[in-house]
Amino acid sequence: MPKCTIDGKEVEFKAGENLVTVAKRVGAEIPVFCYHPGLSVVAQCRMCYVEVEKMPKLQTACSTLAAEGMVVKTQSEAVKKGRAGTMEFLLLNHPLDCPICDKAGECDLQDNSFGHGSEFMRHSEERRTYVDVDMGPVIQKNMNRCIHCTRCIRFGEEVAGIHEMVAIKRGNNIDITTIDGKQLKTEYAGNYSDICPTGSLTLKDFRFKKRAWMLKKTATICEGCSKGCNMEVQQEGNVVYRCVPRENLEINKYWMCDEGRFNYHYVQDPSRIVSPMKRSGDSWLVSPWEELLVNFRTDSAGTGVMLLIGTDLTLEEMKAIQETAKALSPRAAILSFGTPGVESTTQDGPRDQILKMKSKTSNLKGAEMLGIQPLLGAAKSDVVLVFRGGRAELPRIEAKKAYGVGVFLEKERNHFHAILPGLSFLEKEGTVVNHQGKEQSLKRALLPRGKSKAIGEILMLALHQRNGEVTA
Amino acid sequence: MKEKHLSEKFYQAMKQKESRYPDRKALILPALHQAQAEYGWLPKEVLAEIAEYIGVHEAQIREVASFYTMYNLKPVGKMHLKLCTNVACCLRGADELMEYAEKKLGVKCGETTPDGAFTLSEEECLGACTTAPVMMANDDYVENLDINSLNHFIEKVKHER
Repeated sequence: MPKCTIDGKEVEFKAGENLVTVAKRVGAEIPVFCYHPGLSVVAQCRMCYVEVEKMPKLQTACSTLAAEGMVVKTQSEAVKKGRAGTMEFLLLNHPLDCPICDKAGECDLQDNSFGHGSEFMRHSEERRTYVDVDMGPVIQKNMNRCIHCTRCIRFGEEVAGIHEMVAIKRGNNIDITTIDGKQLKTEYAGNYSDICPTGSLTLKDFRFKKRAWMLKKTATICEGCSKGCNMEVQQEGNVVYRCVPRENLEINKYWMCDEGRFNYHYVQDPSRIVSPMKRSGDSWLVSPWEELLVNFRTDSAGTGVMLLIGTDLTLEEMKAIQETAKALSPRAAILSFGTPGVESTTQDGPRDQILKMKSKTSNLKGAEMLGIQPLLGAAKSDVVLVFRGGRAELPRIEAKKAYGVGVFLEKERNHFHAILPGLSFLEKEGTVVNHQGKEQSLKRALLPRGKSKAIGEILMLALHQRNGEVTA
Repeated sequence: MKEKHLSEKFYQAMKQKESRYPDRKALILPALHQAQAEYGWLPKEVLAEIAEYIGVHEAQIREVASFYTMYNLKPVGKMHLKLCTNVACCLRGADELMEYAEKKLGVKCGETTPDGAFTLSEEECLGACTTAPVMMANDDYVENLDINSLNHFIEKVKHER
């Protein structure tokens, strides 16, 4: 492999790698604004200056490819001066509104200004100002904070496949906006906010809700479809404020869709059922776990029992249900449900050119691996036990007795006679298998809400109780 | 088929020019010039039609058309005066000329007179610094301007109508 020298350290590289990537390997962080590994290189912010020996001027590291024997300095006096100069230009029109800006704390402009800029400003003229643009339900644009890195324009063109952001006019009068101020059409608009290096494109869903540094982050997997995008859940005080994509070049690269990004809302929906309850005439009564577990066990031990497993559950939960069913109701039919019309992986496939898959549940492949046959049509049986993670679409149920185990909202409980509340994908750990057959782990980000219990625990309690007393 | 805004002549001219460029995108600038020659300015529908003809997204045409000041995105008067206010002209009194023209025509820079006769706008360097201050009157250069000659020029144009 060819070698070059960065800050006196020799480092190997692959042909075609740029200096930003290679420098990372020796621990030299080069500040960037317009460069993003998932987008084309334009070298227009001029922040990533480095000094390359035998080259007369400072070079932009993002557009300079490493070459055999190249000697690069990333911390020389000339580089520092160059970067400070760039920072001064970028901040000419930038408002000092960090205290009320949502990006503060995770802002590239803030970090790089602190790391490479000067603490003084020579510019005393008036700053240009723009009116905020409403870009639809996902994004709010504040052009005053923009440094025209054009990441958003390139993201739309190259990743989302829709050229909806434009740079109108030029120079000091430049305006990054949508054509005629239209609303964004793409279903991946949340990424605009992620890649924006300033607080110019902010998520309406997150605006003014929480400061970035207060959030606790958990790396988990999105359950929005069978793609299995890697994402990070950001919560504080057991309340999720935002989900952002994590880099995984084999699955979702750097992106995720809006449907997956905002899917978390149902987890903290006030109408989510978090106490065990049973139907009594037209109303619902909150009942003790013991009572419902007795009923659950009695009914599941009878004849004509059907177990329905949502394809949004983890492999561990599915296996636990299969195993418990052997002891609890050996003659029961075990079937899976998830997305109507996409009952098996052969019917699954890309829903668009980017990330979304047809199957709206995360573990269709896993259910198949465990040999669970799909339910076709309505669920007709004397007793139907539905296990669900929260996202699988409920089938029509025609039964004398129906139990719901898992996550249900109030509007969904009319299908059932009793609900045993379970955990959502953010409150449990487990394994899901995506459409490629990759096994990935869910990580617990939240504590369980109310009196909800894990499906494994519910099954175990039901199996080992006698007359309301749990015996080992 | 959508309604066409551009004439057959436009498409013939484009066909001739097409072979001159290695890349179809290079046709954007000549196409905008040609369309402006036909319309006097560039309405949104025309920009959309050019985008469709060249095969790029409308956004790209908008970016190009708004980048160059010589493409008019608003209707202009019969006589479009583009006064240079860049360094050389500025040193030779372009600011006073602009002020005078504004007063004389009764409009602000960037506006058109109510009778549609004149449009006054500001231009960055016109590349004729040796004869500063300069302005462009439609496609012609008027050089070595002073308040007298500017007054004379405007009067002459008014008279000719």
